[in-house]
Amino acid sequence: MAADATRRLTRRMRTILALLMATLSAALIAILLIRQASAPNISKAFPAGEIVVGVDASYPPFALDDGTSVRGLDIDIATAIAAELGVPIRFENIGFYALYDALISGRVDLLISALRIDRARMDDVRYTQPYFDNGLLIVTPAHAAETDIDSLTNARLAFEYASSADAQVRLWQEDGRAIKRLPYELPEYALDALRLGLADAAIVDAATLRLYQREQRDWNIEFEYITSDPYAIAARIDRRDAWKLVDRALSALKERGEIAIIIDAWL
Amino acid sequence: MGLPRRRRRVAVLLLALSALGIAQIHPRPVDDQVPLGEQQNVETAKPLVCVHTLLENEVDEAKIKRSLELTRELGAATIVQFFPWAYAEAEQGRYEWFIADRIARHAKRQGIRIIARLGLVPAWARPSDPAAPPTTLNFLPEESFADFARYAAAFAERYADAIDAVIIWNEPNLSFEWGFRPVDPAAYARLLRISYPRIKAANPAVQVLAGALAPTREQAGSGAGLNEFDYLSAMYQAGAGEFFDALAIHTYGYHDSPSAEPNPDRLNFRRAELLREIMLHHGDEHKPAFITEFGWNDHPRWTGAVRPSQRSAYTVQAFEYAEQHWDWAENLCLWAFRFPADTLSYPDNFTLVSADFTLKPIYYALQDYARGWARSEDTWLPTPRAG
Repeated sequence: MAADATRRLTRRMRTILALLMATLSAALIAILLIRQASAPNISKAFPAGEIVVGVDASYPPFALDDGTSVRGLDIDIATAIAAELGVPIRFENIGFYALYDALISGRVDLLISALRIDRARMDDVRYTQPYFDNGLLIVTPAHAAETDIDSLTNARLAFEYASSADAQVRLWQEDGRAIKRLPYELPEYALDALRLGLADAAIVDAATLRLYQREQRDWNIEFEYITSDPYAIAARIDRRDAWKLVDRALSALKERGEIAIIIDAWL
Repeated sequence: MGLPRRRRRVAVLLLALSALGIAQIHPRPVDDQVPLGEQQNVETAKPLVCVHTLLENEVDEAKIKRSLELTRELGAATIVQFFPWAYAEAEQGRYEWFIADRIARHAKRQGIRIIARLGLVPAWARPSDPAAPPTTLNFLPEESFADFARYAAAFAERYADAIDAVIIWNEPNLSFEWGFRPVDPAAYARLLRISYPRIKAANPAVQVLAGALAPTREQAGSGAGLNEFDYLSAMYQAGAGEFFDALAIHTYGYHDSPSAEPNPDRLNFRRAELLREIMLHHGDEHKPAFITEFGWNDHPRWTGAVRPSQRSAYTVQAFEYAEQHWDWAENLCLWAFRFPADTLSYPDNFTLVSADFTLKPIYYALQDYARGWARSEDTWLPTPRAG
């Protein structure tokens, strides 16, 4: 009797297990099919067979119209993405005020134009992951004892007069931080002051620091972001395939170090 | 007697839901009436100083009040402010003055006078042919000129105690501002001809400003627009001269200092003088001009920008230059005081105050000038040198 009961139980368990396996397999197949159906499709993403990119070519070194063509960091990144996707690319030089309208109206497929991620536009636009952060940096000499603003007491801070760095320093002063202001006419002078030991730290944006370092390759410094200003590529909200493919291509290019090479070439 | 408690609750709930539903169908802005505060006066040493505000899209009334308080503290006694027709008369014949009212009452309380820029066409006043391409808010068909004039007159009458001048349209010499159509100075002259007598009948004291022409080098036949000199000349030829009291001028500095010589082929601050010459040529020397937009940009990367130190200095120098040389200029209105939301691109670098109300260093420089204060600090240090 007990053996019969055990056999019945085992049989039932086997049946349940088989049913479970079948259900799981069906679910897996369904998921795979759905994923395949919803996988971004290049011809659906760019039905015209090319990628049309809107850019305001008035932002060197990100994009500049030299009279014959548009050139710059943004142009190279977009070109690398198109090559990764195997689709030809064409640029349209559009003023900033008309850029988003051009995207929303379908005149262009993507925007790459040193675009800062704008939450207010996210009902209409989807941004990729950032490819560059041009936030403000606090720059200190290498091996400085103190490298962040919280520990820089009575520090001499160099910055460009009337710039966003100046506004930031004023905010710190209003917060009661003991800071000695060193305003200079140009951000490069603020970095000169730091390099020459006339300042304890300098506040500049990331692009300015990178451009300065091209001329001062032996200068060892440390830096820390104090604000974030990420640049990303924009696609229209309903162009999910285009956005996904571009974002994936950007990831692949980043992983292979190609985005870093492009940034190094221009900044 | 009466309904049992449970039914009463259900009835109250249904009534509340109905009210909520009606409110959703006819949403009306909630006029929370931020307290106006004490009556203020603008303390200024430079009445020429004016700023262009953008308060029409400000949702939070407290931000309107704060913007105007900061404008007063800056020492600007006048603002240029946009009052879109599309906002005031979304439904034909039914004016909704909520947005304009709250701007006007806070400006008055801060002691600030208004130059009102009028424009933007409601949907009902634009062509509605579904087969035709959609029109933009700047598309004003000739058939709607009289409707626009009626709005302008109603506005001028309602805000007679708050406004000094109205500007008829904005930059009509740009295709974009003329509804993406070829620009048409004769049509603009007809708009002035229709609007002027109605506005003056409604408010004889208000000055009617024409133009607000954009500085541009576009030549006839360009799809983008027409340079302001040819456009103004064509306006005069079309008989516009009788239908405005003063000319509104936009003149941006770009890379030049304020003292740089004017040149038709170059966009700079003193380009305004070339427009003044055209006014004189047509016998309008008795009419003043208002610089209703000007300024420099200090974006670190934009090709149209100067350095922040230059922007700050040029802006003050431009006021000084106009004070000394432009006796025909009533106000110089700096573009722009503050945007309701940052654009996150170079246009933000035209403002004096960021969207979060952070005062930019140029605000303090202009305040020192406008209030007649000695500069509170040296501007910048000498170029650092080794050793």
